[in-house]
Amino acid sequence: MTANHPVPLPSPEIIDPSMWVDEAIWGHRLHDEQSPWMVFLEFLNVFQYELEKGRAFEEPNGFNTLKYQAAQRLYLRNILFNNPHIAEVRAEVAHNDNRWDEWLKRMKKSATGIAQPDFAYLRERFHTFDDFADVIALVRSSSIEVDSNKRWTSKFVFPFGKHCLYEDLDNKASSNDRRFFGRTGEMLYLMCCRARSKKELLAALVQSIKKADPTWDRIVRTLQPAEDDSPSRDRANAFLPYGTNNGFDDLAEDWLAILRLNIAGFDVFPHLVNLAGLHVVKYQLSVSRQWIGLDTPPSFVCEVVAPRKTLVREVSCELYQENNLLPAQAVEAYLARIEASSEWKQALTEHGSFEKCRSILREAVRWGEDDDYSGSSNPESLFAELRRSAMKRHRQHVANIHRNYGREIGLVSKRGTVKLRYAPNDSLLKTLLLANVEKRMELNDFLAKLMTRYGIVFGDREAENVLTKGDFDKKAFRANSRRLEQRLGSLGVLKRLSDACAYVVNPYCQEAK
Amino acid sequence: MYDETIQRSARKQKAEPILFEHPMQDVVVGCFDRRTADPVSVILTGTAGDGKTHLCRQVWKALNGEEKAWASNDPHLTLEYQYPKDRLAWPDNTDPSLLRPIKIHFIRDLSGWVPQSGIDWEPAKQELLLRFCGSLVSPEHDEVFLIAANDGTLLETWRKLPQIDVVVRARELFEELLVRERQERAGVRLRFFNLSRTNSAELFDRALDAFLKHPGWTDLRSQAGTQTGLFGPQCPIRHNFELLGNDLVRGRLRALLELCDHNGLHIPIRQILLLLTNALLGHPAAKDHLMSADDVPKIIEAGTTSMASLYNNIFGANLPEIRRLEVTVFDYLERFQIGHETSNRIDNILIFGEGDEHLGAYFDTLVAKDSFYGADSRFYAAKKQYIEGTDETGEKSQAFLDLLRSQRRAMFFKIDKSFETELKLWDLTVFRFAGEYLNDVASVLRRGGPVKRPILSRLVKGLNRVFTGMLVNSDRELFLATSGNNSQAKVSRILIEAVSVDPKKGEKVILRHDSADDRINLIVFFTPELYVPFELTLIRYEFLSRIAMEGALPASFSKECYEDLLALKSQLLATHAKRQALDGPVEGGAVRLGILALTDQGMPDPRYVEVIP
Repeated sequence: MTANHPVPLPSPEIIDPSMWVDEAIWGHRLHDEQSPWMVFLEFLNVFQYELEKGRAFEEPNGFNTLKYQAAQRLYLRNILFNNPHIAEVRAEVAHNDNRWDEWLKRMKKSATGIAQPDFAYLRERFHTFDDFADVIALVRSSSIEVDSNKRWTSKFVFPFGKHCLYEDLDNKASSNDRRFFGRTGEMLYLMCCRARSKKELLAALVQSIKKADPTWDRIVRTLQPAEDDSPSRDRANAFLPYGTNNGFDDLAEDWLAILRLNIAGFDVFPHLVNLAGLHVVKYQLSVSRQWIGLDTPPSFVCEVVAPRKTLVREVSCELYQENNLLPAQAVEAYLARIEASSEWKQALTEHGSFEKCRSILREAVRWGEDDDYSGSSNPESLFAELRRSAMKRHRQHVANIHRNYGREIGLVSKRGTVKLRYAPNDSLLKTLLLANVEKRMELNDFLAKLMTRYGIVFGDREAENVLTKGDFDKKAFRANSRRLEQRLGSLGVLKRLSDACAYVVNPYCQEAK
Repeated sequence: MYDETIQRSARKQKAEPILFEHPMQDVVVGCFDRRTADPVSVILTGTAGDGKTHLCRQVWKALNGEEKAWASNDPHLTLEYQYPKDRLAWPDNTDPSLLRPIKIHFIRDLSGWVPQSGIDWEPAKQELLLRFCGSLVSPEHDEVFLIAANDGTLLETWRKLPQIDVVVRARELFEELLVRERQERAGVRLRFFNLSRTNSAELFDRALDAFLKHPGWTDLRSQAGTQTGLFGPQCPIRHNFELLGNDLVRGRLRALLELCDHNGLHIPIRQILLLLTNALLGHPAAKDHLMSADDVPKIIEAGTTSMASLYNNIFGANLPEIRRLEVTVFDYLERFQIGHETSNRIDNILIFGEGDEHLGAYFDTLVAKDSFYGADSRFYAAKKQYIEGTDETGEKSQAFLDLLRSQRRAMFFKIDKSFETELKLWDLTVFRFAGEYLNDVASVLRRGGPVKRPILSRLVKGLNRVFTGMLVNSDRELFLATSGNNSQAKVSRILIEAVSVDPKKGEKVILRHDSADDRINLIVFFTPELYVPFELTLIRYEFLSRIAMEGALPASFSKECYEDLLALKSQLLATHAKRQALDGPVEGGAVRLGILALTDQGMPDPRYVEVIP
């Protein structure tokens, strides 16, 4: 353990969760079941509320004091996602009025989470039931993760505007069980609050909301009664342990770059989501490395998928495995620090050491009650049990962020092999390009920038810097960057001038001309 | 500096080099004509073999530079030249008092002159380039420069210079000129020529003429001796030479290069000469896979003349695959897949045509009659075996398929123009619409004529299918559709706008030739002022045509084109929004949506739905 390990902010006074280790290191909390899209939606809920309160990206009461409410929009959600009746009614009932009657009757019975459900307002808003049905089908087809088989309360309409935002709920639509809105979006919000360019980011987000085509938000609003909606109780206790971090600044700058482009309508969102996911992964690994005492940022050696196994693929697989273990090592290091603390050592020597040690742990990691530990009364086995349960808990969710988020954003893949490795897909490559190339950039400069900014390695010059002599093979990495060049070409973002000179070009910048 | 090597080797061999005027020569030399141009610096850039050094030498000669100095190895030469103090007043005067001396720096090989990577600048060189940067913006400067550099080297050099203001601005200027394909910028004393933008087909014409008219051929012909001797009646080199001069062969080869241009693939002069040389001399069994004079009698005696087929050599088929793909021109020509692509009709002629009552005539003219590269005994034997299917190992079938490939290649150069349509010549390439693209689109537009309506209709139909993700058959309007949240979605059902193809209220979709860069554009007009041009390369033309005709995406090049077209759609949507902004916001509360559906005939049938808030 080096002396300059990160110093987390004090944790908030909350009872839940039962143990405070992962949370102390990375925050409350990184949640692997919450896909990057869900992270983004949760973020938007927080952002919208704070924006309306006039304090977006500020933490006016100090670090980690965020308190917000989210909409629930149960009328909308029942219509879109808890409504198998439309097709049936159209098939079984003739005539427009009868269809409406029948559908309203059925909805009254089946709607969940609404005290006195009455959908009659919809009749006024459409000329015919068939029009209504068509619009519902369209809105539904544009929803997030449209083919997922998640519960209906975890399905989300595309965030066309503020009338499309609401929080995840449990099966009965009664409370937020933190299953798919697991607070990672709140952490993302806090990251933005602590980024250097938060003011510019705020302005850009507000501008993009203003600029957005209002049609769809209006349509979605039309599906809801006039006085919807009862917002949730206060949502609080989000926690991000660091006041500053380069990663927060990078995230904000990347988002800014995307928001400044002249991209049509809502096409920016997928890029924002990709970047959010990437920066969360990078944040987790960077912080892990700091806790372990490694002073360099993580690197991601990326294979541009080759038809055959290549050395780059091998290196990428190994590095993926290595990176994947970093968070667990950080947990070890965090615990080791407690064990090595003078407080703990002192307690060991004193009378009644077991109880003293137990109280130290209660204080430090909120663990050690009778429910947690029922073994013999000696500090060593107490600590061993802490290690075991901390690792067990870590493995359940937090350990999977790197893999799950990596796959969701298209950084990690098994394509063409059985092992996971870094092999970015086209969508992520495009995102990286849009975030980093304002107008155009020489390919080699682009590769260098990806390396310094994200630790992403494609070419030989970058690989030579991060790999040991044994792992580095100039030829293999040259071939890798040539394949990248071809891929970028096929995405229409590469302009080769001659055998010696190629540019990556941001296509949206050209449109602006 | 390959130009120097050629000069030296020509002197050594006592042969005249193949010489022709570079298409840019007049323009480049003209930049230094004191009667018509004020002192101006020139940068010549381009790929290796584009003629940069050659053009430098032409300027040197025109300014009476010493030949001896040029023959030295020094990449940096200078000469002083008298320019009129006021060109407009006395362009031709020789009175010394009315002239001023200008020093012209020739940096004929920038890469050989700048320090290697990792080595520091020599102060004098660095200072010279800084002076160059400064001279670009000061008209009174008494130095100008002619710099020949590969574009990569050029930019890399400016990156290595100290990043002071003039350097950074010069680099940005070069980048801008390169990427936007311009030759100058107002207020800057520089002409910038990217030789990689020269038309390959034009270079080919000049190179081939010079190649064929070389006096060496006449000498050879006059010395041709016996039946089996060099340049004798059975000599494959002579036959290849004659084929190269044949209008049909020449025309087809030129068409391929022209199509390369239309796909954005530039072929430098050196590569063209390499292609011609290999076409003439290639033979897979000879040393270095090229026939020498001594080889000719041996090859004729061994009966392997057919392996020297020009039709194969054009594609570098005499070379091993690894070598072949390293050569740019063969890499580009390979992309036509000539020899691999075919049609039933062509293969039927080749395999079953002999003696057939319908196909026999074709077989005779196209295959049997060609005593050099047509059907020889090897071909007949392999064909018989293949048809009878007696080959159990598959080895011999493979041999026949190789021969078949050569014959298909030969067919591409033998089918007469009058049979092009009937035999579907272009089915022998991966670009089935290439012939139409050249004859009915590119050359028609270049002459200023109108393209036939069915062609435009087909392109529009292809665009509609990509834009909506549905099998639309309509070709009178261009349908812009989205999926509501994503303009790039595979299927887009929300109709945003239908743009009329025929001129109507300012809207139209047209094809046009841009003479500045010899490109074909498809242009979508929203109003006479608001329009979006889209470069219609061969590959995009083929893609759209096939989608319109077959509905399927040809896998080999679908992805790139598909992305290009989505980018076009995004541009069109943005332009549409711009036009709408001009109209002002829509009054009233209701939201109207057009939902796109298709009739049984594939005609779009939008259903409009209103939502009342």
